[in-house]
Amino acid sequence: MAKITLDIFRFDEAVDTVPHRDKVVVDIPETTTVLDALEHAKAEVDGSISFRRSCRSAICGSCSMNVNGITGLACKTPCNTVMDETGTVKIDPMPNFQPMKDMVVHMDPFWDKYTRLKPYLQPKDADSAHATERRVSPDDMHKLVQVANCIMCATCYALCPVVSVDPAFAGPAAIAYAYRFIEDVRDGERKERIAQISEDYLWLCAHCYACSYCPKHVDPNDRIIDVKRAAISERVMMNERGPRHALTVVKTIKQTGMLAETELIQGTVGRFNIIGLLKVAPLGLRMASKGKLPPIFMKPIPKVDEVRTIIDSLEVPVA
Amino acid sequence: MSTTLLPEEQPLSSHVRTRSSQTKRYGFFPGCVAKESCKELFNSTMLLADKLGIELIELTAASCCGASVVNDVNRDVARVLNARTYAQAEALGLDDVITICSTCTGHMRAANKELLESEEHMAQANSILGKFGAKYEGHIVVRHLLWLLIDDIGLDKLKSMVVRPLNGLKVAPFYGCHIIRPEAVNGWESARNPHSLEDVIEAIGGEAVDYAGKTRCCGFHIQLEKDNVAADMVGQNMRMAQDHGAEAVLTPCPLCHLALDGYQQDAAARWGRTDLPTFHLPQLVAFALGVPAETLGLNKHLIDPRKVLVDRDLIA
Repeated sequence: MAKITLDIFRFDEAVDTVPHRDKVVVDIPETTTVLDALEHAKAEVDGSISFRRSCRSAICGSCSMNVNGITGLACKTPCNTVMDETGTVKIDPMPNFQPMKDMVVHMDPFWDKYTRLKPYLQPKDADSAHATERRVSPDDMHKLVQVANCIMCATCYALCPVVSVDPAFAGPAAIAYAYRFIEDVRDGERKERIAQISEDYLWLCAHCYACSYCPKHVDPNDRIIDVKRAAISERVMMNERGPRHALTVVKTIKQTGMLAETELIQGTVGRFNIIGLLKVAPLGLRMASKGKLPPIFMKPIPKVDEVRTIIDSLEVPVA
Repeated sequence: MSTTLLPEEQPLSSHVRTRSSQTKRYGFFPGCVAKESCKELFNSTMLLADKLGIELIELTAASCCGASVVNDVNRDVARVLNARTYAQAEALGLDDVITICSTCTGHMRAANKELLESEEHMAQANSILGKFGAKYEGHIVVRHLLWLLIDDIGLDKLKSMVVRPLNGLKVAPFYGCHIIRPEAVNGWESARNPHSLEDVIEAIGGEAVDYAGKTRCCGFHIQLEKDNVAADMVGQNMRMAQDHGAEAVLTPCPLCHLALDGYQQDAAARWGRTDLPTFHLPQLVAFALGVPAETLGLNKHLIDPRKVLVDRDLIA
């Protein structure tokens, strides 16, 4: 048994204007999970401590919270892996959400983004057109199994730095779940789904891999890349900056072997998009004043033909 | 403090010491940005290598690493491009490829991991490389200069080489996502509680500032998608750094450098003025090791870093 101090975020939106913190000491084995430590504190010390929980075994996705600055499932986090040398565990609600009461947050923005996906199968034809159930090959199903493990705990959404500054971004979980239907061979709305998630800022993912800390190993970071590739192969919203940027990168690598920065700005923003180019001009001028502009014409690397051979050998979409 | 890693996230031990650590000859992959808009990074890296007594042999025919964006178009291109780069290093008798960019590090390591772990990927790459007579044997280790400093030079040695200690300059480390995440690819240290940059800052006489923004994203990859969001990501992190007392920022990544140096001004409306000067890793280390400040390209930064050096009596 060990004396563990839980340093808990306390806030009740019904009565408080600002949050405060309470320290609660519990006498429990060190290997107790943070969730069980909170349960103990609620049962033995202060019944008003609020947090969501249900299964206690990383299946229901209710108890994601921030423990010592790291967001994850409290039921999957043993105290001895997170407490400091004084035996203290600092507990806060998930970031990127409005707190409601203690660790309970308003989940509405997260659910809204799920709802927009129409997260159910929309087959091409009626069930009555099929004599038996719709069959899916093991290979086709295999692609979906990992994503189907998502328990909607919102850990990835809470970790996402883009959501933290722009709540319009769909966030990792919604994009990963969009993938689950986009890649389902029974679904008839593939293109519409790709268009919908593209409109919800699919291409605003900053490639930061913060969502690689998925407690169920859904790896939204990889699924986001998969959905972008599906968008390009289905040629959805090809005039938007995201797809243009990706395709221009490949184009400049093929031309010069390098990522040609000047060409990349023009290719992404649009060579004839005067307003767009004027918007990036101030930073360009600031850089120019320091002699920091990339070359306007890149000299190709030695043996650039080899790079072209590589790209030509693979099935690479072009703009 | 005890570890913040969950048991399943223990650091990888895959960072074998290579022959290069004895011969002091390393393959060097500068990446695109150090050859284009951050030439001061390339130059200061070469000056630092001279001081350290190591030879960085530039892979001059190497291509872009794929910069995380190429995967959005095709899953195989970046892997095969990097296999070509590794084959070039092997042909020169090298077994180490040293990078000076977090994004290059992460994506070249990811490509190497896929090549080494999948016979299918290796065969695909070599069948394409074979068209121009190249072959990747699978002997390359990709490391960042930051790890070389700690593993091959050593912090004690580095400390003993310092001739111009930073007088306690408060420096905020900024890692850049792809040198730490995903841990399964990088794994040199915990991505959630890294300390390599802090260790280097302390070794050269600075004081490392601890703040939550150090492992967060600079927004570089979405600057052209939505520049205000990218600027907000810079502002948010730099606000945290300044609130924790930082006078300057140190980053191993030129993409982060472009973002932090370029966008603090645009972020000021929402996050307040921060104006933290941002040093490239080799700039600040080379400076502490006595490389003349005028040769480090400090005048190329949008937020002039010479001011904090003057304030700390480090330069006149």
